Amino acid sequence: MLFMILRRIGSGVVVLVTVACLTFVLLYASSSNIARNILGDQATPEALAAKEAELGLDQPLLTRLADWWAHALRGDFGRSWFTNEQVFSAIASRLPVTLVMVFASIILIALVAAVLGMLAAVRRGWVDRLVQIGAVLGSALPGFIIGVFLVWVFAIQLRLFPPISKITPNAGLNLWVLSLTLPVIALVINGVASAAQQIRSAFIRQLELDYVRTLRSRGITEREILFRHVLRSAAPAGLTVLSLQFISLLGGVVIIESIFAIAGMGRLAVEATTKSDLPLVMGVVVYTVVIVIVVNLLVDILNGWLNPKVRVS
Amino acid sequence: MKSRTLLAIPALAAAFALSVVGCSSGTGSPGGGGTAGGAELVLGIVQEPASWDPAQAHVGHRLQPFQAAYDTLILREPDGAYSPMLATKWGYTDDKGMTFSLDLRTDVTFSDGEKFNAAAVVANLEHFKTDNGPQAAQAAAIGSVKAIDDDTVEIQLAKPDPALEYYLSQALGLMGSPKALGSDAIDRTPVGTGPYVMVADQSVVGSQYVFTAREGYWNPQLQKFGKITLKLLADVTSRVNAITSGEVQATLLDPTTVQQAEASGLTKLAYPTDWQGLLLMDRAGKLNKALGDVRVRQAINYALDRETMLKSLGGGFGEVTSQVFGPASTAYVPELDTHYTFDKAKAKQLLADAGYADGLEIEMPVLTPGFETLMTMVTQQLADVGITVKQTSVPGADYQGLLGQGKFAAAAFNIFQGPSWVASKLLLSTDGLYNPFDSATPELTKQLDALQANGEDKAAAQAINTYVTENAWFAPWFRPSQLYFYDAKKLTVVPQTQQAVPSIYNYAPVA
Repeated sequence: MLFMILRRIGSGVVVLVTVACLTFVLLYASSSNIARNILGDQATPEALAAKEAELGLDQPLLTRLADWWAHALRGDFGRSWFTNEQVFSAIASRLPVTLVMVFASIILIALVAAVLGMLAAVRRGWVDRLVQIGAVLGSALPGFIIGVFLVWVFAIQLRLFPPISKITPNAGLNLWVLSLTLPVIALVINGVASAAQQIRSAFIRQLELDYVRTLRSRGITEREILFRHVLRSAAPAGLTVLSLQFISLLGGVVIIESIFAIAGMGRLAVEATTKSDLPLVMGVVVYTVVIVIVVNLLVDILNGWLNPKVRVS
Repeated sequence: MKSRTLLAIPALAAAFALSVVGCSSGTGSPGGGGTAGGAELVLGIVQEPASWDPAQAHVGHRLQPFQAAYDTLILREPDGAYSPMLATKWGYTDDKGMTFSLDLRTDVTFSDGEKFNAAAVVANLEHFKTDNGPQAAQAAAIGSVKAIDDDTVEIQLAKPDPALEYYLSQALGLMGSPKALGSDAIDRTPVGTGPYVMVADQSVVGSQYVFTAREGYWNPQLQKFGKITLKLLADVTSRVNAITSGEVQATLLDPTTVQQAEASGLTKLAYPTDWQGLLLMDRAGKLNKALGDVRVRQAINYALDRETMLKSLGGGFGEVTSQVFGPASTAYVPELDTHYTFDKAKAKQLLADAGYADGLEIEMPVLTPGFETLMTMVTQQLADVGITVKQTSVPGADYQGLLGQGKFAAAAFNIFQGPSWVASKLLLSTDGLYNPFDSATPELTKQLDALQANGEDKAAAQAINTYVTENAWFAPWFRPSQLYFYDAKKLTVVPQTQQAVPSIYNYAPVA
């Protein structure tokens, strides 16, 4: 098990270094108009040249890459070119709200999708058809439409929730809950739709295997078969689905954060990319890759715990 | 079962959230409210300052937040007139318009306790010149600045700049504490003489900025609120949701959200600040020979159905025009709005006269994402008279840069309609970004020189406008309206001429 973890960490580091270097080269190789973008339409050629020198854009690409790594390894990702905020601070101040939203969503998706998937697989018939129709509808509805609909009903008409985030540095738990309830529901509706379908399939595959028939023939109750045997066997597939859901949620929050004006990582990533705020984009890329690596590692560990064959392989 | 489940989720969440609210201190009531020291102003803003250093201030959206914490030397009234602010008197002291003097107030201090005086003005103007901010060009004509005495400053220009008075009411005129200028601290927290001070622990980059009224402010008439909160709402959906639910009291919307805002009983202000259209930049035909012929450029102007474009692209909010100068500038000539009318036959005839009866091709950039729809419309309308537009996608971050480098002969854009000289410098001067091929003629240069020597020379300004319109240097479509909404039960708001959003002084609580 320990060897498997070390091997996964090692491959994660290789992925991180490769992605960071490739992103850096791609971004900085096309950075010829950054100074104009920062200074705007009034800037003179002299002002543009001064800004490029200030940002280090007059240096060769490899020098800039080496400089970036030298600072990044010390935890210094530089400052945003557009807000002058330290990249680390920008990420640190926005990460909590996004992670809270994503973790709350993934927990709810796991619970709801597992219940719906199991119900559909076990009961089949009209329950199964309902779950499948619901899954198709849920997947077909874009996240922003769900978000806008929730705001219109629950924030504007019923006034139960604020339509935009009220999370500030001094905000209490109540404001966090109020601000994130609708965004989380919007994320969960989309997430449950696809996860339930896949968990259902995993359950059905298990229920059709010989060992289930053998267990039944030995007089073991359906409840025991389902929760002690089938659930454990289907869990790895469910975990994989949820880990993919987690990663897609990191992308899904982009639109939801815009609709609800949540100062989170999604909005930060979009704004940084749109403006070509390269230090910030690099910071966001590193953060995203690290999160993905950690989530995959945790899923591998859980899978290894659930299934000894994974540890051996 | 499915529908029950779906309905149950939000209902349960709502019940949970309500129970949390019930247990809370009640600080989260939507809509906000007044403070003990006076009314509260809550605005939804579209952009935030890059830094709070006054030398990094910008125009429009990114000037308004600065006005909360900084005064300017000269105050620009909503109608564009100039009034005393930190300077009580000002003007040129020579006939050539090269020496500009300002008399200053003597009863003003910065929020860090430093005294405002002539030395502070000198420090600010010199800092503005060297800090390479987005509006550094406002100080480009300044040769030197010196303090004549404690309350008099003299600006010596290296070349005439008829917009100096305007600039001193904008970014160039914002005065920061000399002690803080250039420090890291002023990047994060403003230190000015303005009516409000920022509450640092409630202000978050990318989210909101909170200000409270500054005690002992020298001009209580400009300090109309006890507290100001500026919420960054970059997405128009979040802005319309915020204002219709009362989370903010005023914000800028767009044609797609007007109906929702009006249905909620909000009050609309519609005023133009920009023009939208084509820059026909290659007037000598260096990249595209055809554009060197004035008849081709005029044909493009006649080929455009501006009324349809305004309806389709601007939701009908705005005014069609053929000129690039706005009604608030001295260069504006009302008749030029209709100089080119939609006339396909005339466009085809002009193309035939120029030797392009069989058509021609022009490459134009498409700002992506953003300009896809409008470029599709332009492409279709020009195709109707035989002009093929070859579209090239360009990311938004590169668009201005590529235009300035002369990579395209023509391009669509949305450009600010400032005072005559400001707009002329940007669009027509050989140093201007939007004149990358350095187009110039003796006739135009003569009028530009006259305007530079005397900014009040309305005849020169109008001659410039008439010349570039008749010679089709551009193909404007319309002046889109800024659609600013506010809650009239709580506020009065007056639009600010030539500014995307009202100045902070233009808001007042309803008595």
